[in-house]
Amino acid sequence: MPLSAILWISFLGSALARPLALRLGQRAGWVLAILPASLFGLLWIAGSGLEGAGAIVEEVAWVPSLGITLDLRLDGFSRLFGLMITGIGTLVTIYAGAYFADKPAHKGASFLALILLFMSAMLGTVLSDSLIGLYVFWELTSLVSFLLIGFDSYKASARKAALQSLIVTAGGGLALFAGILLIGMELGSFSLSNAMQNSAALAASPWCGTIMVLVLLGAFTKSAQVPFHFWLPNAMEAPTPASAYLHSATMVKLGVYLLARFDLAFAQVPAFGTALIVFGGLTVLVASVRALSRTGYKAVLAQSTVSSLGVLVLLIGLEGPVAATATVGFMLAHALYKATLFFCAGTAIHATGRTSLVEINGLRRALPVTAVAAALAAVAMAGLPPTFSFIAKEYLFEAQLESGSGWFALVALVLGSAVFVAIAGIVSLRPFFLGRSREGAVHHGETPGLFLGPAVLATLGLLLGLLPGLAVAPLLGPAASALVGQALPVSPALWHGLTPMLGLSALAVLLGLALYLLWPRLLARLAHLDWLDRLLGDAGYNHAFEGVLALARRCTLVLQNGDQRRYTATVVGATLLVTAVGLVLAAPPLAIDLSLEGLRLAPAVVVGLMVAAGFAATRMRSLPAALVAVGIVGFGSALLFLLNGAPDLAMTQFSVEALLVVILAALLLQLPIRPPSTRSAGERRVDALLAGGFGLVTFAALAAMTAAPLDLRLTEFFAARSYPEAFGRNVVNVILVDFRAIDTLGEIAVVAFAAMAVWGLLARRAKGKEPT
Amino acid sequence: MNSLILSAFSRFLFALMLVVSLYILYRGHNDPGGGFVGGLMAAAGFAILAMADGVQAARRMVRVHPVALMGAGLVLALLSGLPGLVNRGSFLAHWWFHAGDFHSGTALAFDIGVYLAVLGGILALILRFYEEQPEA
Repeated sequence: MPLSAILWISFLGSALARPLALRLGQRAGWVLAILPASLFGLLWIAGSGLEGAGAIVEEVAWVPSLGITLDLRLDGFSRLFGLMITGIGTLVTIYAGAYFADKPAHKGASFLALILLFMSAMLGTVLSDSLIGLYVFWELTSLVSFLLIGFDSYKASARKAALQSLIVTAGGGLALFAGILLIGMELGSFSLSNAMQNSAALAASPWCGTIMVLVLLGAFTKSAQVPFHFWLPNAMEAPTPASAYLHSATMVKLGVYLLARFDLAFAQVPAFGTALIVFGGLTVLVASVRALSRTGYKAVLAQSTVSSLGVLVLLIGLEGPVAATATVGFMLAHALYKATLFFCAGTAIHATGRTSLVEINGLRRALPVTAVAAALAAVAMAGLPPTFSFIAKEYLFEAQLESGSGWFALVALVLGSAVFVAIAGIVSLRPFFLGRSREGAVHHGETPGLFLGPAVLATLGLLLGLLPGLAVAPLLGPAASALVGQALPVSPALWHGLTPMLGLSALAVLLGLALYLLWPRLLARLAHLDWLDRLLGDAGYNHAFEGVLALARRCTLVLQNGDQRRYTATVVGATLLVTAVGLVLAAPPLAIDLSLEGLRLAPAVVVGLMVAAGFAATRMRSLPAALVAVGIVGFGSALLFLLNGAPDLAMTQFSVEALLVVILAALLLQLPIRPPSTRSAGERRVDALLAGGFGLVTFAALAAMTAAPLDLRLTEFFAARSYPEAFGRNVVNVILVDFRAIDTLGEIAVVAFAAMAVWGLLARRAKGKEPT
Repeated sequence: MNSLILSAFSRFLFALMLVVSLYILYRGHNDPGGGFVGGLMAAAGFAILAMADGVQAARRMVRVHPVALMGAGLVLALLSGLPGLVNRGSFLAHWWFHAGDFHSGTALAFDIGVYLAVLGGILALILRFYEEQPEA
């Protein structure tokens, strides 16, 4: 099956999800899960023939005139991602159906539709070979996650978190887009695989540094790396099924996906790897401290997710083929156990109505299956045998030792792993196995929909650990090979023997145990360190956000103070400035033809009349008289058009002038004929200066324009084509309705929307009055 | 405005301007004119009516809501571009109908759309502005 068909099915299915879910009621989750499940199957089959670093490529045209395609590509790495996205998507859909079972039907239906749309966007991102297509899907994931995080839109905190995530991730997306455009400019193609093969050309480009920074910005914002790490924990405002999906397996890993892809493209830029190690390591340390200072169940999980993302970023930065294996291995292991833990957290919070780890205790009797799943996932998170995570972690340390990239990465990895061990205990032992749940604390039990997801994932984590061959040959091998661009032998086994890696694992576990036992005391200390929170939290973001709003308020006060004359002055002044600067900087320099050669009498008389009327308008105190004077100027310019052979323009100008007088008359009828002057002498001088300056600049511009030789190519083109091609002799009108009809369409749309706004705005004023 | 002369004269002027505006709309393809000017002129006709007999009289003459008129114009202009997609592969590539020296086609429909949108837009302004005015 072609890759584009998989995407089509995905998007069409998500479009149908809401109406379908409304009909299905309680079974919606189970039925809708067929969509991600079948996509999982399709992706499995589509990629089953892939060997080594091979790929399936499908060309999809999009905007051929700009060289933009929607080419799709499936290799081992994107297949692993696609399978995680659809596999966990299946379980999330089932879980969400059960989670929303006791909420209003339309809410559950909307949520399911959003989750499936989100899945489609992520699939699009990882299947795109065209960087433009990748960017479009990338931003779509940001948009849908905005809707998911802010799903409980009645909560101010949810709205704030949603906006924060959108500003950070979509803002980073813009940086990525700029980087993509530069890549397209330098390499002459928007193909990702082309960029991966042309690392030398990219490294030689003068824009290489800029491109790297822009791509890093895009990936770091999406994957919540320092200093953008703050948005992800705040995004826990989302309903838990969304957290499990967005923040464990998938969306935040898109940044990691991008970095892993660009690792080959930047293979000859050493700064890329260094930047990843530094920022990844810092993220691990910051998130570890913050994870230990939180009490919210989901908050702790979120911080540990940030830490895991830091580990992944660091791994990509390491040299050597083992790093690639470690990256894909840890990615899969993390997705399995973190999604499980989010599911368990959701069920525990759902059951008790409490969110703090301190308040949730001893749920193993009430939620037995969930408790077992949580225990298995915790063992995996701690990186203990016999889970798959143990193997992944062995690779992680091996990659570190093999690349020899210094103590910083090693310390970050060992400390990060130790904190994982502590967190694993905190989020599984305490809520499920220690203490007793209070009488009546459990409002909802577990249903099959709620425990299927965690049970499946936790079991998989164990199974793959016992039989690593199940995952390696079909998934990890091709994925790691795709990352390094050549076939890579991968042979993981549970027992590596007594290696330095085992020693590091043991050290991490011991440290972690100590941290776990010290946690209550540590929490009491850390929770009161306000400066730490300010330093590591989102204070900087808030400052920037408030600053922008304050600046906007000040600008509004100055520029939009409600005085129409101030507005006019602003517009005229700005136009004046831009035009004047343009004239001064014009190349070739301004040449004004002041000779009176070819002066004609009739236009000169009309212009004289207009000048006189213009002066008169400024001197009149009576408004109707001033209106007449201004009208003379307008009709005069219509006459000028007529005298210069532009009857169409003249006709339009006449009509506009007539209408203007009619409309202004309507307004003047409501004003006193001779209003008292409200302008001070100083203000009038400024007005005169602006008006005089505007006249002068316009004169200079016009004179310069007539001095330049006239380019008649367009005129001749339209004159020659108008009748043979559009059967009209009035070239102006033919341009309007045929040659450039789409411009006209845009213009009448603008007219229509402006008039609609006037209609609506003035109606509100009219309502306040007494009906006449 | 309470002027018997203006009021009597306005009916005649209104009818005349409306007819002329349609003529100008039609002749635009070969001679000065077109949907934009035509729309402006028709709007001026309604404006005279509003000035002479009040905004209610003008609204009665429009019959439909000015915003609906505007929308109809936009939709018509949009629709006139669709046939081009069918056999010429390009939006707003017009279809033509020939009878000897007479040529017409979807371009005219587009121009009528412009006419209606401009007329509706200006009418929306005029009717609102005159509405504000207390009845004399």
